[in-house]
Amino acid sequence: MAMRARQKIRAPRKGLASSKGDDFEANWQALSGSLKRIHTKDASDLSFEQLYRNAYNIIVTMRGHDLYERVKQLEREWLATEVRSSVDAAISPSLLFAQDALDIQDQANERRAAGERFLAVLRETWEDHQLSMGMITDVLMYMDRVVVADHRKPSIYVASMALFRDIVLRSPVRPDTKTTVADVLESTVLFLVQLERSGQIIERPLIRHCIYMLEGLYETITEEESSKLYLTSFEPAFLEASKTFYQKEGQRLVESADAATFCKVAMERITEEKERCASTLSTLSEPKIKEVLDNELIKRNIAEVVNLEGTGVRNMLDQDRLDILRSVYVLSSRVDNKKTPLTAVVQKCIVDMGQEINTLATAPAPAPETTDKKAVKEKEKPMNQQTMSAIKWVDDILALKKKFDAIWVDSFMSDQVMQSAITTSFSDFINSNPRSSEHLSLFFDENLKKGIKGKTDSEVDSLLDNGITLLRYIKDKDLFEAYYKKHLSRRLLMKRSASMDAERQMISKMKMEVGNQFTQRLESMFKDMTISEDLTSSYKDHIRKSASHDGKPVDLEINVLTSTMWPMEIMSNTRDEVQLSCVFPREVESVKQSFEQFYLSKHSGRKLSWQASMGTADIRATFQRSNGKTARHELNVSTYAMVILLLFNDVAPGESLTFAEIQSRTRIPDHDLIRNLQSLAVAPKTRVLKKDPMSREVKPTDRFFFNNDFQSPFTKVRIGVVSGSANKVENNDQRKETEKKMNEERGASIEAAVVRIMKQRKTLVHSKLMSEVLGQLSSRFVPDVNMIKRRIESLIDREYLERVGEDPPTYGYIA
Amino acid sequence: MTEGNVLRKDQLEISLVKEKKLIKEGNLKDDNPLDLSEPFAELCSACRKGDLKVCQEKITEGVNINARDPYDYTPLILASLCGHYEVVRLLLESGALCERDTFQGERCLYNALNDRIRNLLLEYDYSKSTDPLQPLAAHVASLLTREQPVTSDIVVTAADESLHLHKFILAARSPYFRNKLATAPESTSGNLPPTIPPQAFSVAIKYLYLGEAPRDLKSGPGTGFTESEVFQGIDRVARHLEIDTLLDSIIDSGDRRLARQRRTAEIAKGRDQLETWFRANVLGNKRVVETSKASSEKWDRENPIFADILLQADELPEDAEPGREPTSTLFPCHRAMLLRSEFFNTMFTSMFREAYVTDHLHIVNVDCSPEVLEIVLTFLYTERADFPLDVAVDVLFASDMLFIEKLKTKAAVVISTLGSGNLSQSEAAKTRGTHEEAEEEELDIYGIIRAAWMTRVQRLEEFAARYLAYRLEAHIDSPEFAELIAESASRIQARQETDSIELLDDIRFYLNERFRLRFDDAGLGEMMRSAAQQPQAAHPAAGADADADADGTEKEIEKVANGVDMIDLSRVAAPPAAAASQHDRDHAPVIRTLDGEIAGDEFDKDAANYQILMAKLDAILEELNLEA
Repeated sequence: MAMRARQKIRAPRKGLASSKGDDFEANWQALSGSLKRIHTKDASDLSFEQLYRNAYNIIVTMRGHDLYERVKQLEREWLATEVRSSVDAAISPSLLFAQDALDIQDQANERRAAGERFLAVLRETWEDHQLSMGMITDVLMYMDRVVVADHRKPSIYVASMALFRDIVLRSPVRPDTKTTVADVLESTVLFLVQLERSGQIIERPLIRHCIYMLEGLYETITEEESSKLYLTSFEPAFLEASKTFYQKEGQRLVESADAATFCKVAMERITEEKERCASTLSTLSEPKIKEVLDNELIKRNIAEVVNLEGTGVRNMLDQDRLDILRSVYVLSSRVDNKKTPLTAVVQKCIVDMGQEINTLATAPAPAPETTDKKAVKEKEKPMNQQTMSAIKWVDDILALKKKFDAIWVDSFMSDQVMQSAITTSFSDFINSNPRSSEHLSLFFDENLKKGIKGKTDSEVDSLLDNGITLLRYIKDKDLFEAYYKKHLSRRLLMKRSASMDAERQMISKMKMEVGNQFTQRLESMFKDMTISEDLTSSYKDHIRKSASHDGKPVDLEINVLTSTMWPMEIMSNTRDEVQLSCVFPREVESVKQSFEQFYLSKHSGRKLSWQASMGTADIRATFQRSNGKTARHELNVSTYAMVILLLFNDVAPGESLTFAEIQSRTRIPDHDLIRNLQSLAVAPKTRVLKKDPMSREVKPTDRFFFNNDFQSPFTKVRIGVVSGSANKVENNDQRKETEKKMNEERGASIEAAVVRIMKQRKTLVHSKLMSEVLGQLSSRFVPDVNMIKRRIESLIDREYLERVGEDPPTYGYIA
Repeated sequence: MTEGNVLRKDQLEISLVKEKKLIKEGNLKDDNPLDLSEPFAELCSACRKGDLKVCQEKITEGVNINARDPYDYTPLILASLCGHYEVVRLLLESGALCERDTFQGERCLYNALNDRIRNLLLEYDYSKSTDPLQPLAAHVASLLTREQPVTSDIVVTAADESLHLHKFILAARSPYFRNKLATAPESTSGNLPPTIPPQAFSVAIKYLYLGEAPRDLKSGPGTGFTESEVFQGIDRVARHLEIDTLLDSIIDSGDRRLARQRRTAEIAKGRDQLETWFRANVLGNKRVVETSKASSEKWDRENPIFADILLQADELPEDAEPGREPTSTLFPCHRAMLLRSEFFNTMFTSMFREAYVTDHLHIVNVDCSPEVLEIVLTFLYTERADFPLDVAVDVLFASDMLFIEKLKTKAAVVISTLGSGNLSQSEAAKTRGTHEEAEEEELDIYGIIRAAWMTRVQRLEEFAARYLAYRLEAHIDSPEFAELIAESASRIQARQETDSIELLDDIRFYLNERFRLRFDDAGLGEMMRSAAQQPQAAHPAAGADADADADGTEKEIEKVANGVDMIDLSRVAAPPAAAASQHDRDHAPVIRTLDGEIAGDEFDKDAANYQILMAKLDAILEELNLEA
């Protein structure tokens, strides 16, 4: 064990001696003299150690509290005499009295000079005070640590800052006025800021330093953030002044009635104020001055600016002034999350432009939509032209869409609110065109047939994507489906598709966009096509194996279509009258029967019905020219045309057949027969038959000859059917037809939805049922409320549902 | 208590096996090597008994506190198992390891007698960095980036990178620089061969400045150096500057413990180098002169030990030999190291005389004895703070004045441990007898408590209260004690925060602890209750206050009686106490209380003594006319 621990420990030698007054006074004398020297910047040869020791000795003799008070008193005196007098001297009368008279320029100049002088003095005073207090605090470090903690007092630094606040800033400048130094400071700074706003250059760092002072001083000794003098006194005044200024400025700008200027100035003001906060005032004010700007300059005026005649947003959209649009957007989004005025104008603009496109598209049609129901004798423009205008419609919309997409990205910063507004407007005007579904489907048809030839995959992709975007806008998706199905079936059967890949891509895109159910039937159409291919080849195998070469072989390519999936009724024009099927020539008939046999042996219990109107045939025709030569051509014709032409095999050269004869021998429906004869005999390049009399119209008495003088530069000749096989705009009758069918289908869908919902819910209030039905069907079409009501009535009649209550009306499900 | 954060026993065993394997392979240094030496055994024994004083002495002697005894016990485990909170705290503060997820660490937690100790252990988990040298290392490393005040005295350039460095650190840490600077101590710049990549150079300097090894060597694409080039460069630098362990310190092993051990070793080595240099150059160059002539002492700024300030400490008046001029001691020092004290930091940062650079070094007077200043300097340069009890109070004041918190704490620890005398439980048992021989007072406890108040060291106040409580019999009647209570009361009035007397509250608390400890030893709640009630009849004078106190005691007792297992433990832990009481009984067949009455048995006597002391405290209060 260490022996020295046995020694009695020495009592601490300090502090126990009863405090000697002399010591205190002596130490204080030395200390106070030095503190004054610090204030007069004469401290470089003072010894830190000595001062510290003076203070330390005072504190260990338990007189720390007295020391604290003495130091405070010393500071108070110093500030009240030396500092005050120098600050007061710097306040010139022009600062005191010219509070608001900054209108007169020369006076402003004078005031400005005086102000800057005053600020410079104040800054120097403040910096000196800070510096000397820093040094004094260093010396009194021990006091701060011990006395302040013990007595819960502010540190000497804080206390002296409070003294500076009260003695220098918060006392009247002249005994007879109430104006304090702080008031003068405030008005001077505001005056300078005002000067800067009106375009003059001021000495920013000077102001910044005075603001530092206000930021470094607090109302309370606890020094909370919120009690900074800057925040409690200067800032409110600054904001108030700014408010008045920007109210005036806003008024002035609106009166000048140029939206572009307004935006430019507003944007400039925003950056200017931000910069001012950073470099001249305090960053603390940035959000607040921003708010003032937003409220006073922007919020008050933005609606007016947006709607300004001639220079407003409308004009910008028309002129593609994206940069200004962006400013408008930025300004709007600062004050209003919904950007109501801007969206309203943009929406209106889109709808207007869209309506223009709509009218343009329907313009070739002679009568507007409302009257054309009555206009029975509508003179149809050439079909092609109408189709073209439909496609133009889509192209125009796509162009418009592209324009607004660009605006949205560039000017509206991809803002969600703007996007939904734009989308709504597009959807509005697109759906206001009753033919939108048809036009869009035609657009796809056209592109899938021709448009995509020679395009790269990505181009095709974006083309289809564009179309799909429009599909998104269309409310009556079921109508679109109907048209698309119709057009697709033609493309498939006539093999008019430019690329099957593109077709499939299209389907999968639609599937993603609208859903599985939507494309189900379209997909099964494709499936039918593939199955048919297999079927054809296996039939060919079958024929080869059976090897019954009776007569000339006929190469048969067949498409077996599931009747529910394909738009049968649209394809065959036999919707009303019961029509006997066409009589095929022998050769064809035998093939037909052989296939039927083959098919039914594979799939028993199915019924095949032959759609001759949809088929094509390749026949080889021999033309005995009058000069004795024979010309051979391979003719690609429709099935009906093939049937007609084969009739002429049995007709002696020079003989003719009348229309009635042909009809009776083939039983081809009138309509189709006329069209086929027209294409064979009237169309200028494919006149395989001669017609007598040579006119466009086909009458039952017309006679047809085989034209041995048929000329064509090609060996293979394709003879299209005059009309009907190509996809084009429907005429009004067809439209009504389609609409009728659509309504029936919709009725069924509605009923199905109602039953589905009721089966699940058992009982449901009318309004809820309505909303659920609307919800379920919205992806396909927007059902008519009256139609739903009728359907519900009908379901009640048929005892699927019953009325359970009257108030509110409630339905029950009958199992 | 949540058991979720303590490893299960099987998991512990697995980790133990792994650890053993690592140690055997030599990959890991054993944190807890077996130590069969006599001093270590004494330390262990002190930890069992809770003898703070012996513990502190052994720690000062340099016994490895992380070693283990033949039964795999470390001192920390022993202390926490036996429930000696103060000892546990001392061990932890002195660098005892209690690391989570190690066998010994978990064992320590698992064995902690109560939650108070357990929480203390958890607080000191390694993540809080208990490496006692860390503050020193952090300070030295911070010198590299510190801008205010300027302390660097040499600019060393390698390739295009220049670093502002300190000659004395370079000399202490690198033989290359030492030789170089010995030949030209006044040079203010140095160059290294340009072949050394700047990265390698800065890594080496960082190493010299005790910094953490860099995680990223800034090699690879974009830096113009490949990793191997940098490594080669480092190797070259290491050979050039003759610092052989540099490369080892950089190669990262990835193992947290291994890295820590290596770092600890590096810092310890750095500290030793600094210390050697410090002792040879700073202490070796101290000068004793007559105080009157001290200020005329001139030191040139260019001096062979690179000192940039002189510290002067005057001889204490009581040490001065009569008839001789009082002397002062001058220590040549380096500002860079003095900055560790906030006092010096402010001095050199503020714009007073001391901050200006002059041709001759400033002499700064430090108001303490040369002996104390040497302790302070030793601490600032080397983090060593071993000093005897007799200067502890002076060190306490000096470190308070100079704002060196850690040294202040250390002084408080020294006083409260070495001065604790017979405060341990075992010793406390002896104070039971009234006829206990008046032991010589080792320290002036009144002085200590006043020092504690002045320097605001809570720990010391607690210590003094405890000290007084454990020997209250000797003090309670002295007028000095009453004066002290009055002083404590007046302190509180000045503060106006509570209306209780802090010192008195503390004394009551420890008094309660002192007697309760022995009640616990017996573990017989029933007997205690009757014992507590008896004196009330015997001394109705004790009055209502005593009643309230007795109630408080009863509650405590009940608590203890419920925790049967705790009593068992403490019974095991206190065999010396039992032995001591046996001893007492032999000598004093008649058991008397403090006021001389004959008590039924020892428990009666303890209870009675307790009541008597409490009553006396109340009497003092009344005399002083104070409310408590």
